[in-house]
Amino acid sequence: MNKRTLFAALCLLLLPASLIFAGGDKESSQDVEEKVVRVASQVPGLITPGSWDGQVFSLNSSIYEYLVEINPETGELDPVLATSWETSDGKSWIFTLREGVTFHDGSTFDAEDLKFTIERTQDPAVGHLKKNDFAIVESINIIDPYKVEIKLKESRPTFIYLMTDYNMMMLSSDYDYASKGESKPMGTGPFKMEQLIPKESALLVKNTEYWDPALPKLDKIIIYFVPDIEASISMLEADRVDIVPFVTPVIKNRLASNGDLSVIAPYQEHRFISLVQGMEPFDDNRVRLAFKYTMDPEVIAKSVAQMELNEGIFYNEVPVMNNQAEYLDLPLRERNIEKAKELLTQAGYPDGVTVDLYFASDHPFGKELAQTIKELSAPAGFNLELKGYTRDIYLSQYWLKAPMCITGWGARADISMLLNYAFRSDASWNESHINIPEVDVLIDKIRSEVDPDVRLGYYHELQKIFYDEGTIINVQVPYLVAVNNRVVNYRQPISMLPQYKYMDIK
Amino acid sequence: MNNFIQIIIRKVGSLLATLLVMSFIIFMLVEIMPGDVAQMILGQSATEESVAALRESRGLNDPVLVRYGRWVVNVIQGDLGESIYMQGVTINSILWRRVGHSLILAFAAFILFVPLSIFFGVLAGVKEKTVTDSIISFFGLATMALPEFVSGVFLISIFAVQMKVFPIVSVIPIGESLFENLDIVILPALSITFVMFGYISRMQRSSMIIVMNSDYIRAATLKGMPRRYVIFRHALKNALLPTITIIGMNMGWLFGGLIVVETLFGFPGMGSLLMTAIKTRDVPLIEACVLLITVIYSVSTMITDLLYSYLNPRVRFAGGQR
Repeated sequence: MNKRTLFAALCLLLLPASLIFAGGDKESSQDVEEKVVRVASQVPGLITPGSWDGQVFSLNSSIYEYLVEINPETGELDPVLATSWETSDGKSWIFTLREGVTFHDGSTFDAEDLKFTIERTQDPAVGHLKKNDFAIVESINIIDPYKVEIKLKESRPTFIYLMTDYNMMMLSSDYDYASKGESKPMGTGPFKMEQLIPKESALLVKNTEYWDPALPKLDKIIIYFVPDIEASISMLEADRVDIVPFVTPVIKNRLASNGDLSVIAPYQEHRFISLVQGMEPFDDNRVRLAFKYTMDPEVIAKSVAQMELNEGIFYNEVPVMNNQAEYLDLPLRERNIEKAKELLTQAGYPDGVTVDLYFASDHPFGKELAQTIKELSAPAGFNLELKGYTRDIYLSQYWLKAPMCITGWGARADISMLLNYAFRSDASWNESHINIPEVDVLIDKIRSEVDPDVRLGYYHELQKIFYDEGTIINVQVPYLVAVNNRVVNYRQPISMLPQYKYMDIK
Repeated sequence: MNNFIQIIIRKVGSLLATLLVMSFIIFMLVEIMPGDVAQMILGQSATEESVAALRESRGLNDPVLVRYGRWVVNVIQGDLGESIYMQGVTINSILWRRVGHSLILAFAAFILFVPLSIFFGVLAGVKEKTVTDSIISFFGLATMALPEFVSGVFLISIFAVQMKVFPIVSVIPIGESLFENLDIVILPALSITFVMFGYISRMQRSSMIIVMNSDYIRAATLKGMPRRYVIFRHALKNALLPTITIIGMNMGWLFGGLIVVETLFGFPGMGSLLMTAIKTRDVPLIEACVLLITVIYSVSTMITDLLYSYLNPRVRFAGGQR
């Protein structure tokens, strides 16, 4: 009996000890031989092309490719699967495709695949997120295996920018994306899916048949799907991953003292504060102006992002980013509480006004911005009732129906796309219910004008209208990515798609 | 023995009825969660057409009772369905890997906290109202009061950040198994031990004090039996009964309720999978996880009851008489 007790006690002691000394340093020894970058990312939702919700960019942007890509340094379009594109009237487009490109399954990329990709946007069974944008396509004519003519129903000089949308990756006409798009994604990209453990991790390996022999520079990308951003940051600090996208300013400040890590802001995103024209009290432009007079952009920058204004965070009252060529540098409105009170009184609100402000509380910068504008506007008599909900509930139940809201919008290289989605009176995502006939006319002109100088003039005209009677305040917040300093040449342009093929590791 | 078989049959019948009712409640609770599943999956860019196509392809347009019936029939056949996000990937292939990880974590925690808690509980009970008792009781109370995310952060700070003995997060490198990375289990298991130690040791202490003050122990002591013999042969046997109940009742939590611990450490177990499923509104996966946790809770409670009946003749006898 005593021996048995002793044996049991020994087992109990040995088991934890074996756990303690199990494991080891396998990963680091493996990394010496191969160039591997490890990414901690959110858990992906749908990743099938056409239904992709735009999360976990590191996965799809490495596996698939587009006709063109945006150069993050110049903002210009660089050729990828299309070597050239031309149009004389904005209505007829000729694309010349790159020869010698193969999909990961060995099939050749050619004009049939481009035709399939665009026609698939109109397939009702797919429910493609770009269906409305590509409804403008009238016909697709294959001139030869590497030359395609796309005819549009009306002139669209910026049509090429639609091809940079993250759901417009080139697909193989022979592959069943409906059944394999989630579990076995397949494209022409610089990396191939080697292994996918659902909800846990993915291993991408170098595509040795890639059309550019100099790329990609890495051998492998390992993506860990981590539901909690704090756990992701712990992994970064413990050197278990090299990249954590979508971090908050609080985390940025926390990492500032760590010399091995950096937080970069490859591009800005919009946070539109919508003052809804179709509902009280913002149906009166004097109330909209009164609200704008209560804002203090410098305070917003410091409070929301802990940054100085124009150093990573920007502010204006128009639907264009400060760093875009089309931006008209109108003077910032100075904070004037007395004037705001006077305008409110003129509009029939001498005792102030209460408004429900809806926002996605789990979206970076959302609640910070809501709290800041509540406090800034209070002295003039605005009583903002904060209604924060998780992003899914906000979008499905309150968005487009709220008298005031804060919504995150990705920037568009072609601003006319954003204008058409969100600022035409009949736009499906017109969250501010803007209904100004001159704005509609100008958006139409911008979309169809072939001459870039004339188009720029229309943009400036439009921004003046927004400044005087617009329905939004446009706070541009940084998209923050935490990276280990070993990572070299991290590129992610305004299209939001990271370009890992150029990335290297020291 | 016949009485005992009757108890088993009654318990299993009650278990099945509980599971049926719970399956309906789980399904309905997920159903009434606010927000539209299809809209959430597709995000802000969703158009009416894309939302409609997704609802149709995932069978979300069918009446709720039809979907419930379909789900129950499939579950009985062992088919938990597909994740709403991963067409072509069954939930079985996602879930059981995570269940395996959670079982290993639960086992590691179990072999840490059970002997420790019982040993110190007995020690405190035997040394009642001494300095030893005060120290053990204070430590037990302190660990009980600390939520697991606090003790977890505390452990990470000491063992992972300062001493660098254990990994800071419990991630399994792709291509490897948990068995090749067993060191990632230690900190989560210690964090669970912190929580459980207080409950178990205090329960053990209380029951030990009651038993040590009972007549038969006094008689054994007066007969001149060695103290160690009295404690381990006579007292401990009876004093363990309430502790076994408490341990059994916590087994369900240990296997399926470690959401906070697993999320904090990034441990790829069932708790973190449930967290992910809830965050992404993956309805079939939420239902599968919660149902499995319910099964584990129910079965562990049933086993505890049976064990208690077996160890305690009074319960067994009363059960058979009914």
